[in-house]
Amino acid sequence: MKSSSVSRILVALVLTGTAVVTGQTSPVESKGPPPKYDPISVERGKKTFVGACGFCHGSTAKGGEKGPDLLRSVVVLDDENGKTIGPVILKGRPEKGMPRFPFTPQQIVDVANFLRNSIKNAIDRDNYKILNIVTGDPKAGATYFNGPGRCASCHSVTGDLRGVGAKYEPVTLQGKLLQPSYSWTEGIPPHPVSAISVTVTLPSGESFTGTPVNLDDFNVALREPDGAYHSFKRTKDGPRVEIHNRLQAHLDMLSRYTDADIHNLTAYLVTLK
Amino acid sequence: MKAESLFASICLALGSASMFAQMLDPALLTKPATDAWPTYHGDYSGRRFSTLTQINQSNVKHLTLAWIFRIKVGITPNAIVGGEGPIPEGPPTDPGVSTIKATPLMVNGILYFSTPDNAWAVDARSGREIWHYAWKTKGGVHIGNRGMGMYGRWLFFETPDNYLVSLDALTGKERWHKEIADVKQEYFSTPAPIIVGNHVLVGTGGDSLDVPGFLEAHDPETGDVQWKWWSAPLKKGDPGFETWPDEYAMRHGGGMTWIPGTYDPDLHLYYLGTGNPNPVLTGRSRKGDNLYTCSIVALNVDTGKLAWYFQPSPHDTHDWDAAQTPVLIDAEIGGTPRKLLAQANRNGYFFLLDRTNGKNVLTAPMIRSMNWSKGIAPNGQPIPDPAKEATTDGVLVSPPTDGATNWPPPSFDPETGLFYVGTSQRFSTFYLTDTDPHPEGWGAAERDAGYLGGDLEAIDIKTGKIAWNHHYPFGGGPVGILTTAGELLFTGDGSQHLVAFDPANGDMLWHAGLADDLSNGPETYLLDGQQYLVVGAGDSLYAFTLEP
Repeated sequence: MKSSSVSRILVALVLTGTAVVTGQTSPVESKGPPPKYDPISVERGKKTFVGACGFCHGSTAKGGEKGPDLLRSVVVLDDENGKTIGPVILKGRPEKGMPRFPFTPQQIVDVANFLRNSIKNAIDRDNYKILNIVTGDPKAGATYFNGPGRCASCHSVTGDLRGVGAKYEPVTLQGKLLQPSYSWTEGIPPHPVSAISVTVTLPSGESFTGTPVNLDDFNVALREPDGAYHSFKRTKDGPRVEIHNRLQAHLDMLSRYTDADIHNLTAYLVTLK
Repeated sequence: MKAESLFASICLALGSASMFAQMLDPALLTKPATDAWPTYHGDYSGRRFSTLTQINQSNVKHLTLAWIFRIKVGITPNAIVGGEGPIPEGPPTDPGVSTIKATPLMVNGILYFSTPDNAWAVDARSGREIWHYAWKTKGGVHIGNRGMGMYGRWLFFETPDNYLVSLDALTGKERWHKEIADVKQEYFSTPAPIIVGNHVLVGTGGDSLDVPGFLEAHDPETGDVQWKWWSAPLKKGDPGFETWPDEYAMRHGGGMTWIPGTYDPDLHLYYLGTGNPNPVLTGRSRKGDNLYTCSIVALNVDTGKLAWYFQPSPHDTHDWDAAQTPVLIDAEIGGTPRKLLAQANRNGYFFLLDRTNGKNVLTAPMIRSMNWSKGIAPNGQPIPDPAKEATTDGVLVSPPTDGATNWPPPSFDPETGLFYVGTSQRFSTFYLTDTDPHPEGWGAAERDAGYLGGDLEAIDIKTGKIAWNHHYPFGGGPVGILTTAGELLFTGDGSQHLVAFDPANGDMLWHAGLADDLSNGPETYLLDGQQYLVVGAGDSLYAFTLEP
């Protein structure tokens, strides 16, 4: 909680489950931007690689019938700008059946950049590209929307959801239907939006309603719509604290959806153009 | 060599009172810590239960702040500098470097602890720095460091670029450093070394690029490797090879060793939980159970040979490392005294095993939201539902990769018979992104789908039932825990409070506001006849004691 406001963290906790103590391999904890490789050089390297090396090592460099996977190769991982792989390319490995390739220095650098960029793409899981997710049945989605999903009790396809299929990419749409309290726009770091309000009622009957700034077992603090800040100590004797999440129904649905329900709903929402 | 005689001979060899004051008596490691906290868990059992009673239910309300120590990381003016990397430009900015996840050692009045690339000795009476060691890194993920191990006068810790570094506790000066894994292959190291006899046990982590995991024993004097245990078979014919499709898959199969284990001196076995198989979120290229990933293993501490294993997540496809602390418990089951091992697993289940042979005694779910399992097999293993493996159009899974719980240490209180753990209930959508027959790295993307809150749970080890829980709608989750014979449980609430609970029923007895969330396992010790409670929260250690 270094730079973010407490309220944002609270909302993040409430709505997205950004764990306070995240795990070693958590995607939540960033390990900094991965190195970048000149895209023009990478593209040139790809062409050179596919033409000369792909027959043995596979066009993705993940290995082929004769040549090993180069994305997991320690020689490639140790390489910097072709210094290590250059001699291998130029001299070949006749004992293993690899011929010599008379690449220019630039070609070697390009192939090295292509390989390192491919490794970066395998490692950089925060930027994996999600593929086609519209696989469901829109008719079944409509039935679910109006029936067991009870979506129609709050939403209308001719009202608030009109045109959502044109407004959002399918991945965004699926993310929003599961977790509408989260901004899912691709390319922008996902961030929570506020859906919680809290009402504190004092023994005198006086009450305050606003966005929670802090809410735990010992204190409650809120900001009223006009910006006024109030905080209260919590004890066994009160005050009474009521929490309202206007998107609670979406949280409740997480334990009820089947994956087919989600895919069908997404397919249906995509048609709302 | 017996622990006591080893200590005596080291004392004799050094022969100085001031040096004596810096040394660790290895005998301390085998009993619940009182006037020391000599190893990551306080003792070898992983129970994190202290027999101290000076601070207890009747006086806990009188706990008062003794001191705060705020770390200053990087190459500070007074730092002792080591390392193989370049001199950094400016101070480190990665938040992991400034977050205390270590449980400090406390030996003869001095606290020893580390964060990534940094180590300190701090006066346990005053909270004043004695020395600070800073490591110039070659890279690696700087997510956290669990702390140090101690052998006589020597300290040991691991770095993100995978060096085992040994320091002289007296001066903070480096004795030697040894590379244990290649940072270019995306290994990074976070565990606290555990010292058993003359073995320094070190593991490593990193699952971005399909590299194999291992545990090593190093000689505390020379740093040389004594043995190395690979967490997956290396070739056909090795134990467990039948659970992999081919040698290529097993040699790129993961199974990291990133949390310190526990040790039973009578059985001479070191217990360790291993991490997920690779590629992480898709199992197409590694059909089979993928032993010994996501497993609890018992290793002979002198040879590194596997004595037994139990696999909580066969063929894992959700990053549910089984690395959480294997807690050693002695208790009666059905009227018979048993040597047991309990683990609250990231996959959402609580496991109780017989630690002499690895046979399952009990498996019980810890969270209600869990939806990936088709039930429990007769051998106690959960049965994964293949329909919950990542698909291109997404599957909704609870728990997410972070798990129902995670690395923060749980606690077992022998007086209540309850196992305490912080859990969270979340959902994620898993999207298969790499459809190649040989996916690499993670192979799938994960997106948060919703949070149902966290709990502090008290689990009855004999039934697996939750005796009581304290629900946090907005925080909680996996947080470190300490229990004491003073009938107290200390933990954090995810809202920057240190809280004392009644371990019998979950009543809240005391709390203090900190400047950050609790980020390590709380510890306690007696010093000058006075009991201290020390916790790490963000970049600071806080020491509490009773008002005089």
